[in-house]
Amino acid sequence: MTTPPRVDERERVRYEAADDDRAIGFLRRLREGLDAGLELPAAVSRGAAGLPGGLRDAFRRTTRRLDGRYEEDDWGFDEEFVEAVFPFFEFLYERWWRVKTTGVHNVPSHGRALLASNHAGILPWDATMISFAIQREHPLPRYPRFLVLNWAFDLPFVSVAMRKVGGVVASPYNAIQLLERDELVAVFPEGIKGAGKAFSERYRLQRFGRGGFVEIALRTGSPIVPVAVVGSEEIYPKLGEAPTVGRLIGAPYFPLTPLFPWLGPLGVTPLPSKWRIEFCEPIDTSDYGPEAAHDRTLVFELSERVRETIQQTLYDNLVKRGPAFV
Amino acid sequence: MGSFVGGALARRLERDPEFEAVVGLDTRRPKLELERTELIEADIRNAVIARLIPQAEVDTVVHNQIVRRAGPGMSPTAMHDINVIGTLQLLAACEKSDTIRTIVIRGSAGVYGSEPHAPQFFTEEMTRLFPLRTRFQRDVAEIENYFETYSRRHPGVVCTMLRYQPGIGPSLDTQITRYLSLPVVPTYLGFDPRLQFVHEHDALEALVAAVRNPVRGAVNVACPGTIGLTRMVRLAGRASLPIVPSFFDGATGIGKRLGLLDFSDDFTRLLRHGRATDTTRLVEEVGYQPRYTTAEAVEDYLRTQDGRRVLPNLREAVTP
Repeated sequence: MTTPPRVDERERVRYEAADDDRAIGFLRRLREGLDAGLELPAAVSRGAAGLPGGLRDAFRRTTRRLDGRYEEDDWGFDEEFVEAVFPFFEFLYERWWRVKTTGVHNVPSHGRALLASNHAGILPWDATMISFAIQREHPLPRYPRFLVLNWAFDLPFVSVAMRKVGGVVASPYNAIQLLERDELVAVFPEGIKGAGKAFSERYRLQRFGRGGFVEIALRTGSPIVPVAVVGSEEIYPKLGEAPTVGRLIGAPYFPLTPLFPWLGPLGVTPLPSKWRIEFCEPIDTSDYGPEAAHDRTLVFELSERVRETIQQTLYDNLVKRGPAFV
Repeated sequence: MGSFVGGALARRLERDPEFEAVVGLDTRRPKLELERTELIEADIRNAVIARLIPQAEVDTVVHNQIVRRAGPGMSPTAMHDINVIGTLQLLAACEKSDTIRTIVIRGSAGVYGSEPHAPQFFTEEMTRLFPLRTRFQRDVAEIENYFETYSRRHPGVVCTMLRYQPGIGPSLDTQITRYLSLPVVPTYLGFDPRLQFVHEHDALEALVAAVRNPVRGAVNVACPGTIGLTRMVRLAGRASLPIVPSFFDGATGIGKRLGLLDFSDDFTRLLRHGRATDTTRLVEEVGYQPRYTTAEAVEDYLRTQDGRRVLPNLREAVTP
């Protein structure tokens, strides 16, 4: 007695047949095109016309981009590129880090604003997740531009990728020019001190430099939105440091984590901690006027206020989150 | 006068009745036919111009002779001499004249350098952000210094320093137009710098605008916006050859020895880190609004070069 093939087995066979047809169809149309005297690119395109929708679109997009017909803004931000890597970010956001976002309505839907967030880890995963959280949860989503540690722009590939997703060199001039164009700008006032802190110091905010970000906000009259990110500080638990190696390769520091550098390139895999992102109530600075940027007392006061808001929100969210990894 | 912008400027000015007389000074003959421009054949490096300029009784001097790239048979020392000593001689000659009201120098935005950590757009006061790294950069900075000193000592003379981004256009022969006409263009692997150019039309018109309405100090001259190198090379239909950064100088050095290409230090830095300037001052104070953006300038230039594509044009391929 013969048993009929199982359903998924039949499905597989059908799919394979279809794949075959696709490839053969493509080649057949390509050949027809060439025989009709078309040039190679046109013939390939004709071959691709019969492909199923998704493949055909990907093919068209690739050829268009290879021909240089795509948009990048003056800063190198490439929206099409960001949309193409969306599924990857989505996976990180939903599955890997299981991000929960609150208070997204505190991000203004238009006009200039400065997001100030805590920061950990040398790769700006927290920046990408803040950006993605706004894309996902905000009723009128927009792309924030973030100030990235200058060191990233010395590196091949990293510098290109950073610019494409909206990163700019961390220079106050850049922040001011972007805000004057009414963009949403994200800064990490802890700077390198935040990126390089030890695991035992996690969620303890470092000093906020000289309060440069407050000066920028005052000068451009932008509201400051404090952002607290919980979870990013566990993705690369820094256990130690190898300063000599860091100096050799010109990096600001060389971290030793449970995975890095022992696993080589795989060592940059971030650990799957559980994340929470909270956008806090914006702090309006437009009433002070641009001259207030020179008022040191006010700058320190506001900077301290932002710092305390983030610190307090971090503690609240740490409690709400519970255990770090499950 | 021998350059495109110099000749075209003389032609623009001589057709304008506002200017009584136009005098051109160069060792080379102008490329364009000129009607009423008086030509003086003299070397800018020679002290003789200190006698010629006061005699001409001009009220506006345009210094257009900053050499950006050593031409064939020009040593780096000669280039330095023309740029620095030439400017010095010219300013000394201007000091002797009491009719001069305006001096406009067509300088270079190369003075900012190309830096990985630079702000996206340099504004005019940002020349001191980074150390001067190349010889050309130091020369331009020296010229700017002399000019500033001159300007302080002669408050009655309006001194305008125009900082030009690299020019692009069918009549120009610059490093970038040469680069784009290479069949295979070398690039830095893993880098995609933001570049900015000035179209030849805007280069000339901005100079005319600055002569008509001179402002004190430095002004950036560029077509607004930027373009990525990768995108530009693709638009040009060139094949790019990405080279690992540490081997780039070695590889282009071999190309140079074979006579295939000739990149200056400034140009290789530009290919790695790019540079863009803020043109607010040009628009608001000089009152010149460039006709093209940088991307449009590149596209306009490439339209004139369409027959020279190396890679197949994918445009027809994609339109269904």
